[in-house]
Parts: sequence; C-alpha cells; structure tokens
Amino acid sequence: MSVFKDMKAISQGMWITWKHLLRKPVTISYPEVKRTPPPRYRARIVLTRDPEGGERCVACYLCSAACPVDCISLQAAERDDGRRYAAWFRINFSRCIFCGLCAEACPTMAIQMTPDYELCTRDIMSLLYEKEDLLVDGCGNDPDYNFYRHSGIGLVNPRGGNQDENPPVDVRGLAP
Amino acid sequence: MPGLIIDDIPVEVPAGTTVIEAARSVGIWIPHFCYHPALGSVGACRLCAVKLLDGPVKGIQMSCMLPVQEGMVVSTTDAEAQAMRRNVIEWLMINHPHDCPVCDEGGECTLQDYTIAGGHGLRRYDGKKRTYHNQELGPHIQHEMNRCIHCYRCVRFYQEQAGGTDFGVMGSGARVYFGRFKEGALDSPFSGNLVDVCPTGVFTDKTSRFRARYWDYDMAPSLCPGCSLGCNITPVARYRELLKIKARRNDGVNGWFICDRGRFGGREVNDPARPRAPRVDGVDVPWDQALDTFVLRLGELLATHGAGSLALVGSPRLPLEGQLLLARLAEIVSPGNVCWFTTAGEARGVLAALETLPPEGVASLADVRGAGCVVILGVDLLAEAPMMALAVRQAWRNGAKVYVMGISEWTFGSFLGISVTPVSSLDEVPPAERVKPVLIGNSRDLPSARVDEKLWGGARVALLQSGPNAVGAALLSVDHDGASLEELLASGRIKGVVAVEADIPGSWLAGIPFVAALDWRQTETVAVAQLLLPTTSWLEMDGTFINYEGRAQRFLKVMNPGIPLRGLDPTLHPPRIHRSVPPGGDLRPAWRLLAHLVERLGGRSPESPFTGRWERLRDLHPEGEGIMVYTHGSDSSEGGG
Repeated sequence: MSVFKDMKAISQGMWITWKHLLRKPVTISYPEVKRTPPPRYRARIVLTRDPEGGERCVACYLCSAACPVDCISLQAAERDDGRRYAAWFRINFSRCIFCGLCAEACPTMAIQMTPDYELCTRDIMSLLYEKEDLLVDGCGNDPDYNFYRHSGIGLVNPRGGNQDENPPVDVRGLAP
Repeated sequence: MPGLIIDDIPVEVPAGTTVIEAARSVGIWIPHFCYHPALGSVGACRLCAVKLLDGPVKGIQMSCMLPVQEGMVVSTTDAEAQAMRRNVIEWLMINHPHDCPVCDEGGECTLQDYTIAGGHGLRRYDGKKRTYHNQELGPHIQHEMNRCIHCYRCVRFYQEQAGGTDFGVMGSGARVYFGRFKEGALDSPFSGNLVDVCPTGVFTDKTSRFRARYWDYDMAPSLCPGCSLGCNITPVARYRELLKIKARRNDGVNGWFICDRGRFGGREVNDPARPRAPRVDGVDVPWDQALDTFVLRLGELLATHGAGSLALVGSPRLPLEGQLLLARLAEIVSPGNVCWFTTAGEARGVLAALETLPPEGVASLADVRGAGCVVILGVDLLAEAPMMALAVRQAWRNGAKVYVMGISEWTFGSFLGISVTPVSSLDEVPPAERVKPVLIGNSRDLPSARVDEKLWGGARVALLQSGPNAVGAALLSVDHDGASLEELLASGRIKGVVAVEADIPGSWLAGIPFVAALDWRQTETVAVAQLLLPTTSWLEMDGTFINYEGRAQRFLKVMNPGIPLRGLDPTLHPPRIHRSVPPGGDLRPAWRLLAHLVERLGGRSPESPFTGRWERLRDLHPEGEGIMVYTHGSDSSEGGG
C-alpha cells in the first residue's frame, strides 16, 4: 500500500508548509524596524571613564595581548602627574571579531562592549577607530570603580590613603 | 663530593654546595626570590622550602641555606613543602599594592609568576596594607617601595657586589626600607643592575618607563659595543626603537651584570638624524643611483690617479663581517691601501698589544675575578671599562691585593669600596704578593704594560682596546699589512677615501676629492662625504665582535631598521599606503653593501663573509662563551693570529 503511504507523507509536508505560511514571521524588516539587543550584547567597543571623569585606560597592554586577531594597538605614556595613559589607542574594527576577550582582560574596566552593532561602512579605513572615537563620557558598567582607589601607588589618593592602607611608615622611627 | 637524592634523581656535587644549587645542576627549579647565583643566599624570602624525607636533616628546610650532606633525600614536590611555598606567596602578597597594570615589571615579574604558580588568586587577608614613601633616585632608576618583598637582593648587589655606599637598608621589623638616606641619584656606576636583580617592580628602568610590555618586546642576544670587553646584553626594542638594555649572563665575560654606561648608553640608534637614505652631493637619491654613482666615481678616480690613490678605511667598531669584506674589496680596487685604524698610535698600540702578550695569555674577566693580585697600569677603569673595575672588586672580595699605578687610588678605591695600594713601578709590588697576578692596562700606552717575564712569571695581562672589535681589526691588519689612515694620508698619494663606519676627522678629508662613507651614525666623516651609503646599526643586523682577549662572539638582529614610531611623521602612522619596508628602513648591513660593491667591481663575493681560517666562526652561536680566535704562542696559526 505504498500509494497511501506517499499520499500521507505529501499531505503531512503540505500541512507543515501551510501552517508556516500563515504564521507571523520571526524576521523583521531591518533597517526600517530595529531590534533592541540585550544589554550585554557584544558590539562596538568603547573606552570608559572613571567616576571622577578621568580616563580609566592605563595602557597596560592586556587587551592587545588578549586580542586573538591583533586588532588593538596602543602606546602607553606618562602624564606629568605620573599617571599612565594611552598616548594613542587604535582598534581596527574591520578585523575585530567582537569576542569580548579584551573587555574581559581589562583590569581597570576601561574597555567595554556596547550593544551598538551598526558599524557597517563603505570605506574600510573609517573602521580604524582612534582613541577619540573610542573614548566615551561615562562609566558604563561598574559606575563606582576607580582603579587608582584600589591600587596602592598613591596617584588619586595620597600614598597610604586608600581605604585598605595604613599611612606610610616612618623608616627612621625607633618604636618597635 | 657528597651525594644526595633530589626528587628521586641522584646528584653528586662538591661539598659546600647548597641544595638549591644542587637541584639547579640537574635541572630542577626550586622557586626563590632572595637567592641569586651571583649574590648567594640569605634565606630572607622563605620561598625555596623543600622537605627532607631522610638523611642527617629532616623536615621542611630552606634549600638555599642548606649545604648538601651525604645521604640527604630531598623532595621538592612534597605536599607539605608545596603548602609552605603557597603560604609564603600569600603572605608576601599581603602588602602588595596590586598595581600590576601600571607597573613596568608586569609581564616579566618573578612575584607575578610565582603568585600564579602558587595558585593564590583571592585575597583572604582583610587587614590594612603597609605603605612607604618613594625616593627620587636619579634619571635612570624608578623607585616604588610599596611593591617590595624584602628579599635584600638590591642591597646585596649594591653594597657587596658593586661596593656602593649610598644605598642601603633602613628601618626594622615590618618597616624595613631599601633606599638612600637622602633622596638623590645613585652614585654607583652599576646602579642599573638593581632593575635586573629586583624580582618585583621596586626598581624599574626609568628611561623606558611605561613604554612596552615583555610580550611585545623585540629581543635577541646581543653584545655591548660600548668598550672592548664585549659584555653580553639583551637589548629591548619596540616599534623600531631601542627602549632599554638588560644584562645577559656569560660567565666567561661579564657574569650576570653590566655597567650603567652600557645599559643606558647606545641610544644613538634612535637618533632621528641618523643617515637613512643614500646621499650624493648632499641630495637624497635612490639606492640604484647611489651605487651607480659610487662605481662610476671610483672608476674615474682609479683611472685618473692610479690604483694606489684610494684608501679603504674600516674601524674597531665595524663588525668582523664588514672588516673581512673590506679586505676583499681592497684586493680588487686598491691592494695594499686598506686600514682598520684611523690614527697611527691606535694601530701601533693594538698591534703591539697582540705581540707583547705573555705566553700565559690574556686575562679574561673571569680570570680577573679569580686573580690573587691585580695591578692596574694607569687606566681609569671606571671611565674606560667599568665592568673590568667590577671584576677587580670581586677579586678584592676574594682576598686579592690591588695595586694601582698612575691613577688616583682614592677615586678608584672609594668608588668601588676597595682598598688599593699605589705603586710607582711594577717592581714595587712585593714578589710574595704575586700570586695568580693579573695586569690590567690599555693598549694605548703599551710600554707600561711590558712586563719582565722572570719576575712576573705566570702573569696574565688584560689590555683594553679602542673599540668593540679592535682585535678583529688588528688581526686583519696583520694579515693584509694594513697600517693606519694617518700613515696612508702622510704618503700624499691618497685622492679618495672609502670610510666604512670609520670616524675620520673632517679636517683630514678636506683636500680629498672623493670621500664615500658607509655608516649609520651622523659622524664628522658622514658630514663631509660626497657619497653616503647608510648602513644598519648593530641592533639591526647579525654580526660578530672580537673582544679585547680575542674572544669572538656573535650578536643577533634585535629589531628591523626604520624610523622609530615615536618621532615619526604622524601622517605615516597608521600606514595608509602599503609598503614593504617601514619609512627609513631600506638599509643594509655594511658587509652586504661591501659584498654588493665587490660584485659590481668585478670580484666574486662569497656567500658568507667567513672563509678560509675564519670559517669556524660561521656557525658561532650567540649563547655560550664565544670562541677564542687569538691565542698567543705555538697555536696562534691554528687560532688565526
């Protein structure tokens, strides 16, 4: 009775086809309609600032070391007050794979991923983002975090002035 | 020779060796901070704990403080020893400022490595951290005392090894502080080694502060071109710029350390004014045109004035490859008119130095360190070859008597922290004191270095030379009857000079119609040359130097040639056009240029510069102690002297 078997198979297939024809589509007509990605979506990378408005990036090179496609390059330098910063910081978004390893490696929460995924352009050279393009006014995640308030080298707070520090010792003191 | 067992491996070492050294000799690495092969043990850090399972001593012991004894059974992997090491790391981290992202040591930090290795990731201690004030220690060394783990390596190097008196340890208990009594630049000419010996980031190189990380460094085994000692170094470069220089171990030469002059000098390679493009009559031209002009003008000169009118000049700072190719070029264009020295005195001194060495031979730096009596013949070692002075101090520490002739004994002695006896002649040194004697002089003033064989039997002599490859230049001068440019010019028939990395005074070249310079430095010679062919510096090529004792050592290319990124025209970086060489990077080593010219002028250039008796230098490895190419006496022909 293979004829009945075939008819059953065809009608089952047609049933599924018709069912889906009448369904509401899962796709949207981008760019007229835009989806809001979840807040932890990994797209355009930014450099954030600490709560006092200073650059969080200390140019430690961990992001460029973590980057599996070598799209981050930078040069560290020293400000007059001894603060370490990036003299230039460059992300080549034509190479970036948005894996988020740089943000994961960043010890100062400076480099963060944003949900802004609309980076397409016709000019590939414009995908080379310089520090001015990357730096934003804001803290992003961890809005209260300032690296220098936790690392004890006395740059934002005076030496020995962090919450978990004793004041500098008097090396010439005679007390036990 | 006591025998012991370390991790099931039987080891036999001389009596007096510590367990950590015995383990090292069979390739077992016991973590440590305070122990250093050159500085010895103090048992300050407590990290090198091992467990002795059986034998005369039992239980947890510090392997650096424990001399080996017959029958010891040592375990480095015992759970108790591992727990001890893990806890030591955790307590060393209690006061650490956790500032690795802004610390220059990050990436090359022993404390960082062992913290990871010990598995200490989460801070359990919630007390407060101890802090210190820093000191301003001059232009070379950056001080960040909060990172200190109190291993005492710095003060042991500075006071014991280098004899400095202005830096030490202060305070007591938990307030122990390493610094100067008052802020100020460190006096010792070896202060840069604090950066190398410090296992964490207390002392970092200020000249390369915040410039790069270890994993981005361009590094290769190299040699210091500062003087004729041939100290082994590891230069560190990034983005075509020399950032800093680190010492590289070579027990036959510099040991573990280098001097500040070698460490913080050598920055001419970063000079933006360095010659980077071929120049004809003051105008930058493409390479083809420059080489064509060279061949053309050379031909004109030889046709007009004859074969004897051209002088080819090398120098003691030219690597051996270039010196050898210069001799080959001379054979083709101007036989007999080749020299490797500029002034007659320099040539005489270096040549005579080779001849007058006593049969026992030359004193290496290791020989000086092991000497029983040192006589310094009118050389200001601290100015001319500081590492030799450091070797003299080690000899003094081992009980050697030090005599000086013709220099201020006060300056020399006080800078090194040693006691020296001034003498006015060699005879004044008591014969009883002449045990394993070493005489240190300079080839420049040779007569004073001449010694009486009978009285000074068995003496070794160290004669400083005028450049990192002066002995190479001298050996070639002997082979090719090279004299000096001064003598050639005095003959009056020289109408053209080809200067290969040679420093010829501009006034000497005033009347010469054809001057060509191959150099990487902006020298006086380069300034007056009508034709300039730029070459690579010693950091941008492989090469060979022969040091003052006749030891050939190889150095490798550290970085690519080109204008450093810092100081480069901002329009050129990031590069918007694709090019095969970086800006200013179209340079070749001098010997390659010379080989090319040999071919252009009708000769056949060899595949390798090392032919004939130099062949054994072809596969010379940069690691290791080098090859002696010059030995005095019967085997000199074999050695190539």
